Amino acid sequence: MLVVIVALLVVPAAAALICLRAPAAAAQAVTAASGVACFGLVLALVPAASRRDLNYLSYLRVDAISVVFLLATGFLYACVAVYCVGYLARARSDPGFSAHSRRFYAGLNLFAWAMLAAPMMSSLALLWVAVEVTTVISALLIAIEDTDGAAEAAWKYVLIASAGLGLALLATVFAYYAGAQVLGQSYNLDFGPLLQVSGQLPHTPVRLAFGLAVLGFGTKMGLVPVHTWLPDAHSEAPTPVSALLSGSLLAVSFYAILRYYQVATAALGPRFPRDVLLVFGVASLLLAALYLLEQRDVKRMLAYSSIEHMGILAIGVSFGAPIALAGVLLHVLAHAAAKGNAFMGAGVIVTKFATKRISQVSGGLDLLPWSGPLFLLSVLALGAMPPFGIFRSEFEIVAGGLASGGNIASAILIVLVTLAFLGLVATTNRMLLMPRAAQVPEPKESVQ
Amino acid sequence: MAAVAAPSVFSGGANVVAVGVLLAEFGMFRQALLRDQVRLYAAQSALISVLAVIVAAARHLPELYVLAGLSAALKVVIVPILLRRLLRGTGRDSGEHGWTDIAGSGALSLASTVLLAIAVAAFGFFSVGALAIRSPVLPVTALAISVSVALVAFVLMIIRRDVASQAIGFFSLENAISLTALVVAAGLPFILEVAFLFDLLVVVVVFGLLIRVHHGRAESLSTADLTSLRG
Amino acid sequence: MSLVLPIPIIQFLQAATIMGAAPGISGVIARVEARLQGRAGPRVLQPYYDLAKLFRKEALAPQGASWVFLAAPLAAMTCYLTVPLLIPVLTTFGLPLGYMGDILGGGFILSLASFVVAMAALETGSPYAQMGASRAKTFGAITEPVVLFVVFVVALITGTDLPYALAATVRSSAGQIVRPAHLLAAAALFMVILYETGRIPVETHTGTNEFGMIEEARPFEHSGPYFALLKWGSAMKQLILYTILLNVFVAPWGLAATASAVAVALAIVALLAKATGLGIVVAVIDNSFAKLRLFKITEFAAAAFLLAVLGVFTLYLGGG
Repeated sequence: MLVVIVALLVVPAAAALICLRAPAAAAQAVTAASGVACFGLVLALVPAASRRDLNYLSYLRVDAISVVFLLATGFLYACVAVYCVGYLARARSDPGFSAHSRRFYAGLNLFAWAMLAAPMMSSLALLWVAVEVTTVISALLIAIEDTDGAAEAAWKYVLIASAGLGLALLATVFAYYAGAQVLGQSYNLDFGPLLQVSGQLPHTPVRLAFGLAVLGFGTKMGLVPVHTWLPDAHSEAPTPVSALLSGSLLAVSFYAILRYYQVATAALGPRFPRDVLLVFGVASLLLAALYLLEQRDVKRMLAYSSIEHMGILAIGVSFGAPIALAGVLLHVLAHAAAKGNAFMGAGVIVTKFATKRISQVSGGLDLLPWSGPLFLLSVLALGAMPPFGIFRSEFEIVAGGLASGGNIASAILIVLVTLAFLGLVATTNRMLLMPRAAQVPEPKESVQ
Repeated sequence: MAAVAAPSVFSGGANVVAVGVLLAEFGMFRQALLRDQVRLYAAQSALISVLAVIVAAARHLPELYVLAGLSAALKVVIVPILLRRLLRGTGRDSGEHGWTDIAGSGALSLASTVLLAIAVAAFGFFSVGALAIRSPVLPVTALAISVSVALVAFVLMIIRRDVASQAIGFFSLENAISLTALVVAAGLPFILEVAFLFDLLVVVVVFGLLIRVHHGRAESLSTADLTSLRG
Repeated sequence: MSLVLPIPIIQFLQAATIMGAAPGISGVIARVEARLQGRAGPRVLQPYYDLAKLFRKEALAPQGASWVFLAAPLAAMTCYLTVPLLIPVLTTFGLPLGYMGDILGGGFILSLASFVVAMAALETGSPYAQMGASRAKTFGAITEPVVLFVVFVVALITGTDLPYALAATVRSSAGQIVRPAHLLAAAALFMVILYETGRIPVETHTGTNEFGMIEEARPFEHSGPYFALLKWGSAMKQLILYTILLNVFVAPWGLAATASAVAVALAIVALLAKATGLGIVVAVIDNSFAKLRLFKITEFAAAAFLLAVLGVFTLYLGGG
């Protein structure tokens, strides 16, 4: 298994280095191969990691929770790497295409590398470093698009997310302080030992660390009120990057919060951590549901849907019952798949109709015989319709909530999810199902 | 009213250096030239390295000497040079000394900003005082000061309306957190500290590149036009 | 055999030293400043000659000015003669009249003097005098809180607000000097002194730049002996503030520990030497910086306020 883990770290990085030098077609092939290979490696890791914790080289650690997030990232990496082939092809005739695509592929591979490395870090400090690296690489990828909106979104993203990660670094420092009281001054923020001695940790630093971690990593995850960069960044980024941002990066930030949650619950008891997560979760879900009702831009709509689902994740963890936690982990996977699909479909729509504005898109199902229905299915999946994974995961979360006595919170969850569903379906209906009006500009013919 | 007991010379000296860091942070509100802003950041980083050397000498932690030297080399020398290179040519009268005028780019007047920052720093002081966190190497005042520097750095990023000050505000936030780490986590393993420093280097490069992108589109360092994405 | 001075003589010497030496300190500052600028400069004793000349001149009062206009210089002088009795000028131990008022009381009396002079300036109807008076009071409202916070630092460190107690505390150990609260309070007080004595960066002490004048504009309409009293008074205010800064915060050494004549004489010499040193520092600052534009003086006062408030904060957590 060590070989698999090391390969997971080496392959995307090597692909990135190759893409910096190789011609565009080769870079394309290398990226696609790397994506599929990484997904295969993660699948190979699943049986071993789900049985026991894997610890190697004193800085690598894979357990059952990490493997869920690795699956989400690996799957989306594979899909997006293949999608890029067609996505970038439309700009083939632009000048500077080969340099642009080389940079793009190299950045994409580096981005995936950082997101794959984060769940495998055993030290909370290295986890922070990995998340910070994902921030800066994704900011460059957002800015690679040569528009005013992308430049603005990239600056907002890097500033707000880095400031939030500054708070998360403060959380790491306080976590070290708490751990050092029990494990000695040369403690290296290893997660395993910290969890083992968590009963003896002093309460105040752990409480401080958890609060700051939720606020800090929550900035990257998209929790309200520190989500303000998310709609801009996810809507202005190139579509493959948006898919990875929404599907994988938010999940990796959630992974960091989950680790701090584990320590905090073991040290402080369940009350305080769950209350904190419940507050942030409900706020995110509420704001996202309300904003979804009045969206004008299709990718922005999907970004708010991401905020909604991150809120659901936080609420699910706050319920605490085992079935709710199982639902949360399933939700991570199902959301990654559905959101990736939705963004890729949105990318096709934007390319076909040459606009992101919902009001100017109509008759999608007629004009996009393959992508249209796929996009419709992915939006239904995001709206928690059966038989998709999100339906089951949200069902499990609500069941867990009712089992653990959080009746009011469960009721609020159901109401707000319904509201979000309304917003999503109304716009999708407008885009795909309504017949084409006469005065709307003609879409491109080459896209199916 | 009872008198406050005198601190030892070490405590007093360490606290004075920490107060110097906080004053440097306040100084960043006032700078009118990008060059001065970067120099103030270098001075602040130098003060933190000095404090690390003081702690290393007084508490016999030899690793801190190396760390102080490394962080001084990075933050006092390399980062200002990097920023200078990356931001060359972003001045209004750009040429050899293309250091941009970023004066008057605050949302509030300077005196109001300082008062707001004092209130925020007060919050930082008093909230740390209420926590029962005692550091083995430095007095608790230093921890309060470091948290206050972090909070004032947030105020700097919010109030100043030019990308360069916002970037330097973020770097000074990182300075504040490394000061906190010095107070509370002086024994953090060396390799992790090096990882943090290397990460800072990467972040500086990326911030510089993004500022160039912004300047390339907006022809200025002001963030006044970054209002098109709403809802 | 050493001569022991009776206490009332020492008390008298306190006020007399301040009164006698004040114009000399002004002269030293003017001379050093001129020398730094490459000029020969006036002689050090020039202010004495100026005062003597003014006392011989005729006094005029504007039409419509009342008794306040004539009484103000005398009232201000009285205040400036009272304050030296309250602060450690020559001795480390408190003198009987020194317990009339603490550091807050001293501050109030200085403010009273400034207020009376401002009233007299307002009486005159001259635009420059009124402008100077109103500016002085406006900016004074911003710098008074700084002085208050400095007093709070003193109170928190020593448990009293007698200046003698703080001087003794500072002398007691090296830790007291290096502590940040002490350094911050001293720095804040120095910035307030630059404002109160009308030096760069607040206003130009020499010359008549009317649009920038604050303190200097107030005696515009006085003449003859009243003008002499006002000038002498402001020089005395300068020396009093220097004495507070030096003998309480920065360098409380060289004061007489006993009442012997030799010790007191040495204390006078030490005080003059320290004040001259501080004057040279002020002259160097005068030549190094530019005068702040009027609306930027709020920034200057905000910076002083910041230093004083930080001094109190660091003390709050203990050991600062």
